[in-house]
Amino acid sequence: MTMFHFFNCAILTFGPHAVYYSATPLSEYDTLGTSVKTGVVYLVTALVKLVCLATFLKVSESDIFDPSQELLKALIGFIDVAGLYFALTQLTHRNISQNHKFQAVGLGWAFADSVLHRLAPLWVGARGLEFTWDYILQGLEANANLMLSLSLAALGSLMWLRKNKPKTLIPIIYACAGFVATMPSITSYLRWGLGWHLPEVVAFQLFTSLIMALVSWQLFSACQKPSA
Amino acid sequence: MYGVLNNCFLLSYKHKISSPPHTHPTPQLSLFSSMADPGNSAADGQRHVFESFYSIIALVFILLACVELGDASTVVDVYRLIQYDISGAPFGSRVASLNHHAASSLFAPGSDLSRTVVILPLRELNETFIREYIEQGKPLGGLLLLLPRFFRSENSQNVGGHVGISDKLKMKEVLADLEQKLIHSTIQYPVYFAFEDENLDKVLADIKRNDAAGQPATATTGGYKLIVTSPAPKKLASPTITNIQGWLPGLKADGNSNQLPTIAIVASYDTFGAAPALSVGSDSNGSGVVALLEIARLFSILYSNPNTRGRYNILFGLTSGGPYNYNGTQKWLRSFDQRLRESIDYAICLNSLGSGEDGLWVHVSKPPENAYIKQIFEGLSKVAEELSLKVGLKHKKINVSNSRVAWEHEQFSRLRVTAATLSGLSVAPDLLESTGGISDNREFVSEAAVVQSVKLVAESLARHIYGQEGKNINIFADNSSLAVNPSYIRSWLDLFSRTPRVAPFLSKDNALIMALKKELADHVAEVNLQHDVIDGMFTFYDSIVNTLQIYQVASVTFDLLLLLVLGSYLITLFSFLVITTRGLDDLISLFRRPPSRKIKVV
Repeated sequence: MTMFHFFNCAILTFGPHAVYYSATPLSEYDTLGTSVKTGVVYLVTALVKLVCLATFLKVSESDIFDPSQELLKALIGFIDVAGLYFALTQLTHRNISQNHKFQAVGLGWAFADSVLHRLAPLWVGARGLEFTWDYILQGLEANANLMLSLSLAALGSLMWLRKNKPKTLIPIIYACAGFVATMPSITSYLRWGLGWHLPEVVAFQLFTSLIMALVSWQLFSACQKPSA
Repeated sequence: MYGVLNNCFLLSYKHKISSPPHTHPTPQLSLFSSMADPGNSAADGQRHVFESFYSIIALVFILLACVELGDASTVVDVYRLIQYDISGAPFGSRVASLNHHAASSLFAPGSDLSRTVVILPLRELNETFIREYIEQGKPLGGLLLLLPRFFRSENSQNVGGHVGISDKLKMKEVLADLEQKLIHSTIQYPVYFAFEDENLDKVLADIKRNDAAGQPATATTGGYKLIVTSPAPKKLASPTITNIQGWLPGLKADGNSNQLPTIAIVASYDTFGAAPALSVGSDSNGSGVVALLEIARLFSILYSNPNTRGRYNILFGLTSGGPYNYNGTQKWLRSFDQRLRESIDYAICLNSLGSGEDGLWVHVSKPPENAYIKQIFEGLSKVAEELSLKVGLKHKKINVSNSRVAWEHEQFSRLRVTAATLSGLSVAPDLLESTGGISDNREFVSEAAVVQSVKLVAESLARHIYGQEGKNINIFADNSSLAVNPSYIRSWLDLFSRTPRVAPFLSKDNALIMALKKELADHVAEVNLQHDVIDGMFTFYDSIVNTLQIYQVASVTFDLLLLLVLGSYLITLFSFLVITTRGLDDLISLFRRPPSRKIKVV
């Protein structure tokens, strides 16, 4: 029964990544290498973030929400964006269109994030006899995270890879990118500062990620029109 | 939960490098070493990175290993019903491990409970349940009995203030009754005792709610699962009993080489009850032992000064093996020198002195007309009158062919030594009855009664020793230096009420035995320990304390449903993505087989 539950939560957490890869033309163009390389970049970025957090942050004993600490955490969160920039621009990709590049990068990013943050708790916790809703909520969070990563990658590719953008859309693009990049801080503020429970936080994450995905999709297709 | 890992990483980084912050951060990831050479070459830096990476991995593995254990929602200490054999006939609960779903007392009558554990608070015990499942042996997965908080030995007098004393007495009777039934039945399922607390109350309320709604917990409907992991109980190899004897020599007159007469004061200190880990036996026979210690203290004061030393030796005996036909007393007496045994004038055995208002009984096996018995009883009655205590005499003949020994003095009488038992019990108990089980709690022992008994025995003994019978004298008067010390009695009673003392589970150098030996050594001249093995008729099994883990489990149907939902979610996601990125035709083409190509043979 317990391995069953582990299996269920695992396919909820990691299934969408595999499904996304196989369903979209990514599999046809064999962009797996790009995703793997992006995963490695994510790992390095995570290590760098941890080092910065350890060096600059005070470890507080209680779970109170400290604005200055949260601001610092948000700033360090922008290292994420830097990592994504590196992945999008510096990695030598084969000749794949921009359309697929951002999807591959986003997918690799989200998959590495899920594995690093969610696999270990899942393996340790979901196999026990005791039943909690936590792991299912964690899986839903992984889904939301996938959508957010894809949106961030799309906006990132718009910002850095596409040279000719309609002037009116540029501030919107930057605003959306900023919002998506600060999502982790917003989530932790809701969790610790306002005291929301996990189901509510996950619902919020799903909702905003859907909206951001739609918005970035519209922006991307809008920017695509001028170029043939 | 998953923040634990993050926090763990952060905490591991807490050992900061004390070097001044560099202008450009070179990758100096020396995690656990506090020394940092600023002038590291790149190769060294690389090595540091790898080393610290390995330490991170090691830390993660350690964390994983630790988190594996103990993920139950509730963990409780439970105490197993005793398992023993008398001459090969099995008694008690024969199984220790437990792994079944839980049910409360609200189960539908007639339902099959062979794979269910019933959680039963003591208050909800009813006759039909006991009759069917305990005495008639209907199949049951397991039984968890919940005892009210005030039976817990650590906080006997502080907790349970809202429970009235009459309620407590009723509970005591119910529990004593249940204990007797459990001890004398053979039960093929595990029976455990636990104390009520908030967690268990919550779990039980939940289970009752489910039961009332008609959904007893099984594998397909979820609920609570109770698990006790324990290896099969093994026989205890050679259970030892330890007798402690103390010798207070009397004053030998000059030129008199004859052996001084001896008076023996004996009490058995071990207990037997339904749950060996909870059998504290405050009255049977904690009160007797405490009285013996106080008498020893008083006489040691008298005997320390040669001017007041009596012309009698006093022999104190703390015997074990009481519930098993006073096996220890028999072995102790057999080990005596013939001369010593003949020099014993008489022996007084102390038993259950804490009952209170009903008065005390002197039980003898020699007929009351016997001169010695008359003398002893008259001495006791005179002092009792002065203390306004009631003392009665009861005579029970010994049947030599019957191996049942109901009172300790009978072991003396079988060896032709005059003896009597002073007890609060009026009727001779049966085998394994009134042996200090769980129900014999500190709550129900009257300290004042023990003090009175000490005064009674000590005064009558002293008058006999110093030849002051019939005289108007009060040797152990209150407010004198020889007064009986109530706080001494109270502290020893409290200690005994916290210490379970079932003899097979007390090792030779058990802390209690050592404490009794030391205490007696403080008062008397010579203390000896005698170790022996319990009579072969009794065999005991181990595994008396275990931990119970209560898990809240989801049913199989829930998991299947979840699988269905997830499967359809993934399929929908897949179709959605295919449609939006490659078009509807591609989706349909996935499902249509490629047209079979028949090679036309011309």
